[in-house]
Amino acid sequence: MMRPVNLAWFVASLMVTVLLVAVWQWISNHGYVSKVFLPGPDRAWAALMRDYGSGKLFTEVGETLLRMALGWLVASVIGIALGAVIGISPVARTWIAPSLELIRPLPASAIAPVAIVFLGMTDNMILLLIAFGSIWPMLLTTIHGFSNVHPRLDEVARVLRLGRLERIYKIALPAAMPDILGGLRLGLTIALILAVVGEMITVQGGLGSRILLAARAFRAPDIFAGVIMLGLIGLVTNVALSALERRLLRWQPAAAV
Amino acid sequence: MTATLHYLDRRDGHEPVAGAKTKRNPLISLKGVGLNFGSHEVLRDIDVEIGEGEFVCVIGPSGCGKTTLLRILAGLIRASRGSVSYRGQIQTEPARDIAIVFQDYANALLPWRTASANVSLALEAAGTPRAERKDRIAALLEKVGLSKHADKYPSEMSGGMQQRLQIARCLAQNPSVILMDEPFGALDAMTRQKLQDEILSIVSDSNVTAFFVTHDLEEAIYLGDRVIALEPNPGRIAELIDVPLARPRNQLTTREEPEFLALRRKLFDFVMRYE
Amino acid sequence: MKALKGFALPIAFLVLWQVWAMVVGLHSDTLGAAPVDIAVAFLAGIRDGSILDATGMTLTAAAGGLAMGAALGILAGFLFGLLPPLSRLSRITVEVLRPVPAVAILPIALLVFGFGYAMEIAIIAFACFFPVMLLTEAAIRQITPRLMEVARVMRLSSVQRTSKIVFPAVLPRLFVAFRLAAGVALIVSVTVEIAANPQGLGYRLMLAGQSLRPADMFATLFWVGLIGWALNWALVRTEKKLFPFHSLRRIEE
Repeated sequence: MMRPVNLAWFVASLMVTVLLVAVWQWISNHGYVSKVFLPGPDRAWAALMRDYGSGKLFTEVGETLLRMALGWLVASVIGIALGAVIGISPVARTWIAPSLELIRPLPASAIAPVAIVFLGMTDNMILLLIAFGSIWPMLLTTIHGFSNVHPRLDEVARVLRLGRLERIYKIALPAAMPDILGGLRLGLTIALILAVVGEMITVQGGLGSRILLAARAFRAPDIFAGVIMLGLIGLVTNVALSALERRLLRWQPAAAV
Repeated sequence: MTATLHYLDRRDGHEPVAGAKTKRNPLISLKGVGLNFGSHEVLRDIDVEIGEGEFVCVIGPSGCGKTTLLRILAGLIRASRGSVSYRGQIQTEPARDIAIVFQDYANALLPWRTASANVSLALEAAGTPRAERKDRIAALLEKVGLSKHADKYPSEMSGGMQQRLQIARCLAQNPSVILMDEPFGALDAMTRQKLQDEILSIVSDSNVTAFFVTHDLEEAIYLGDRVIALEPNPGRIAELIDVPLARPRNQLTTREEPEFLALRRKLFDFVMRYE
Repeated sequence: MKALKGFALPIAFLVLWQVWAMVVGLHSDTLGAAPVDIAVAFLAGIRDGSILDATGMTLTAAAGGLAMGAALGILAGFLFGLLPPLSRLSRITVEVLRPVPAVAILPIALLVFGFGYAMEIAIIAFACFFPVMLLTEAAIRQITPRLMEVARVMRLSSVQRTSKIVFPAVLPRLFVAFRLAAGVALIVSVTVEIAANPQGLGYRLMLAGQSLRPADMFATLFWVGLIGWALNWALVRTEKKLFPFHSLRRIEE
């Protein structure tokens, strides 16, 4: 439980948020902004509840979540494995790293048209898009982590005469973990974005399709309901991953503010 | 590299110098050791023998190569010239029973492992069966006074505690030789004195051979049976000094003995020449 | 020598691609395209101005959104950084709004502004706002208390303190935030153009793909990547020139 003063601030902060929502409702009620553009929170909530009741919400959220998670998982496995191999070997780094630097500034979503050409407007296309886009932070941070193991630890490994595999598993991997976890978190953020983009383009169901279609049909409450859900997904996954990160990295010294 | 296998060989201009204990059981033998980094000569003509159970300290001004010498003994660097023999065999890579205590303890410990787990690393590397490990770790932590902190991470421990942990891990290797590279340099004076006494008792308990690099002259005299004084550019042995002070040493009385003071003056003059 | 090795892989890749294309017999209306065809398409696009037009549209939107988002972000960051209570009060609101992906805003912007520049700029501004705000706030927090004490001792007014001490102290970090936001701006603009907005490089990419002009598509793709790379390179060099004494590499996220 939080210390009393922190609790006080938490509650105050919460009240500010509630206040802003109330202001939003007030603006909507008095029609200062057209209801077409800015539906009141009550109508957004009603849309949310309606879809929750019909089960449509679950379906849509589930689809987006599934695509995001699957693409991210595939990208994580490949990204970390590849990153470990490249990061450990100075030779590999010399040859491969510059190419990676060339690809890095490319916006991941730019791959979407190419993916559509090859895979059409399908689920697989979205998955490919997500995987390709989210692999970069994970790959790059993993390489960074593995290539920046402190030389002293290397010497300790030599003095203790640890075998090659032991060195990777007991020293390099844990040492690279902070970087890897940071990359995973960033990758997840990108995965969510690309899932939405993919769904918008291909209209294959999921929250992305929902909000774009709602925009075209001028159904603002539906848009807001969808955006709220997306924000929620982003929030929950981020919090979950951060909590995991904190747990795995609890050995780290307390960071200076 | 020329090979030598006999301990008290006399070779032209390379007469190994030995201390009292060495004449009985030379453990480490350096003959004509020299090292170049590129074209820069770092060490030249290092001839010294170290016997079993000896406590040898190395002092010298900054840049004289004392840390490099330690790393050659450790097998982390290969000498460019001369030979390093350990138990009569040429050393080409780190030997299992030579342990190193580094100065930057924070970098030498695994921050993601608890104290026990850090000690365990050495046992794992040596292939100690899992069942045995627990007891040995407990005993070692007890020896360095860290039993109560077994489940703490290095980041939760003070500098002195971390250094003790490193020593515990080294002891887990069951070493015959402990190499220490200015291990107490980053610690405050009081902790340093405590650890000095602790290392002396550890070393005498297990009859381990110690090779201790420091820039603290008094520490060198207090701890050592012999002191190697290196002069810089390039690093060479300027003097080998015996320390005939009685054991066990005492922080108060030993440091006031006339012999101690005389040695202190001698070393001080030596270092002054180069600073 | 090391630099040459770095180029070996891309060059080998291109060569292999070209050979494969020739062996398989790709024509410009099938799914793939050979590197040579792509180069030709690119030059054609430059010559007839279409690539540069599209580039102009994308960069205009990106710049507009960046300017707005960064300006607001810096303002908010200063506000929250200098008045911690304000920051604590808005903590939850910020944490709730922050994880919303910028693309989720797209339908709202589409509804309000319809297609065109306004919609794109609005989305980019949203995307740039939060990172800039957070980094600015963090930068102000990092100013050593010592400097603030100096300001008090010299009896500087709030305005003077802000302009003479706070601002110069945070400037390097602000530039880093700006650089990162610029990257975001470019990415979001291309994304918006791919997903909905019929203008700019993203749209050109989509159009080329849908019209079965793969050479054009790949040419645009490489061009987008090149622009991203060039933008980052230019900003990094500017940063180094303006702030040579700061080692800010570690702030990269």
